[in-house]
Amino acid sequence: MTHRRSVSRRLARGLGLVGLVGSLLLLAAVVFFYRLSFVDLNANQATVRAIQEMLEHVALPVLVLLAPMAFVGLRVIRQAFMPLEETAVEIEAARGHERGYRIDTSRMPAEALPFTDAVNDLLGRLDEAAARQEAFAADVAHELRTPLAMLSLELDRLDHAEASRLKTDVAAMRRLIDQLMLLAQVDAATAAQLAPEAVPLTDVATDVVSLLAPGVIAAGKTIALEAGAESPIVRGRREAIAAALRNLVENAVRATPAGGTVQVFVGPGGVIRVKDQGPGLSSDRLRDLVQRHSRADHASKDGAGLGLAIVERIMAAHGGALTTDPGGRELTLQFPNNS
Amino acid sequence: MRVLIVEDNDRLAKLMAEGLQRRGFSCDIACNLADADSAMDGAAYDAIVLDLGLPDGDGIDWLGAKRRARHVAPALIVTARGALEDRVAGLDGGADDYVVKPIEIEELAARIRALLRRPGPRAQTVIEIGSLSFDTAARAAHYQGNEIDLSRREADLLELLMRRAGTVVRRGVIEDALYSFNEPVTPNAVEAAMSRLRRKIDEAGAGGKLHTIRGIGYMLRETA
Repeated sequence: MTHRRSVSRRLARGLGLVGLVGSLLLLAAVVFFYRLSFVDLNANQATVRAIQEMLEHVALPVLVLLAPMAFVGLRVIRQAFMPLEETAVEIEAARGHERGYRIDTSRMPAEALPFTDAVNDLLGRLDEAAARQEAFAADVAHELRTPLAMLSLELDRLDHAEASRLKTDVAAMRRLIDQLMLLAQVDAATAAQLAPEAVPLTDVATDVVSLLAPGVIAAGKTIALEAGAESPIVRGRREAIAAALRNLVENAVRATPAGGTVQVFVGPGGVIRVKDQGPGLSSDRLRDLVQRHSRADHASKDGAGLGLAIVERIMAAHGGALTTDPGGRELTLQFPNNS
Repeated sequence: MRVLIVEDNDRLAKLMAEGLQRRGFSCDIACNLADADSAMDGAAYDAIVLDLGLPDGDGIDWLGAKRRARHVAPALIVTARGALEDRVAGLDGGADDYVVKPIEIEELAARIRALLRRPGPRAQTVIEIGSLSFDTAARAAHYQGNEIDLSRREADLLELLMRRAGTVVRRGVIEDALYSFNEPVTPNAVEAAMSRLRRKIDEAGAGGKLHTIRGIGYMLRETA
């Protein structure tokens, strides 16, 4: 294993070397200048005197010089690297908000600037690449809509038993495309760093439940909203929060058997819970569903599609989290307390 | 009922027209805004189905101009645009409803029927949801030809639910529509009126049409 190079250690080594060389030179000077006076004395006295001279004229000056140099040198190094350490903490804190993130160079020492500028430039190029990729995905999704609309209309003309099954497939495709578009929009909004607005959660939940209720009832299930008189308010983007909740409720409706009820609870605090009558979702499974699509893995078998990955992405953008309580068959949108 | 479809994709327009025709609408097609203008000069339409990105202009701007000039039929915007903000722009621009491609013809027909049930210059006097009908002038409801005896408030409630059949009507909307400003509304007045109406509808044989969405409001289902 190679030893990582440390500036402090190199300074200590350098100072040690300077001390050694300095000591030897001083020693030579002392021996040269004082040799004559040593010869006059007897051997015993000469040794004691010589040692005294050495301490006084070699060891002391070297120590007096090196100690403050080492102290100041190490201090300077620590201070010079302090902005780097602080920046590392800031970069870690920006987890989940990577888009558009740049290192703050205002406190950087001049020597570190070429490096941080190069990193910022790299971050910029990565953002551009991600934006191009997303724009492409959005374009593809967008372009697919018209042929898909025609396909679904053509199927409507067919008076055949197979047609309804094919229509289900088209509907699944359509859902996936909608989710792709939504994902692209969420990312674009995050990248644009739009100013957050005050969002009353009860209003959002009322809108989403009203919108989805006809479909839920048509599927032979029921849906209910349980909200206190006071609406919790969070900071964020209303449409994105509504989209997150919509995905969660749609998942819950799919998991709930016919005749069952999906319940949406708002509050207390910045919390929306969606309770279904399905089998519940374990933390590991949720992490899988959320992770899978961020790793561009293959599509899920249970029809959740990109839904939960999108919800997680939206929650992360709001500084919140998507959590599961498998025992209570609940998924929770948790917004940060200070928002 | 006559519907004008403004859509530049020829095949998509024909398929939509065909689907709507099978569901009892008569349709005309305009493939750009100029055609739409001349079609509207020549005939009166009950509803317009409008695409946004047309070769000779933006559908929303066109609709806004039409709205300012005179009353036009209710408009349903059908578009491939899916951006969240576009939806708001469409509804602010004078559209009555907004659907995103690819749309199911069943949903398109349901949305048009819902538009036609709204009160307006060309609104029908008799609203029909399946076998349930309501005469807005006579304030009388019928199920399969048999009259349902309703109080004034129950009739108002049924009309409101029928006009918005297939969508959830919020409690606050019902309170505003049924009770005037200075009339005190007891917390369960709407529930009481609703349960009376539900009982009368059930007795007439149209059971299972009225749904309660707890915490939100009520809905009358469009289909049986």
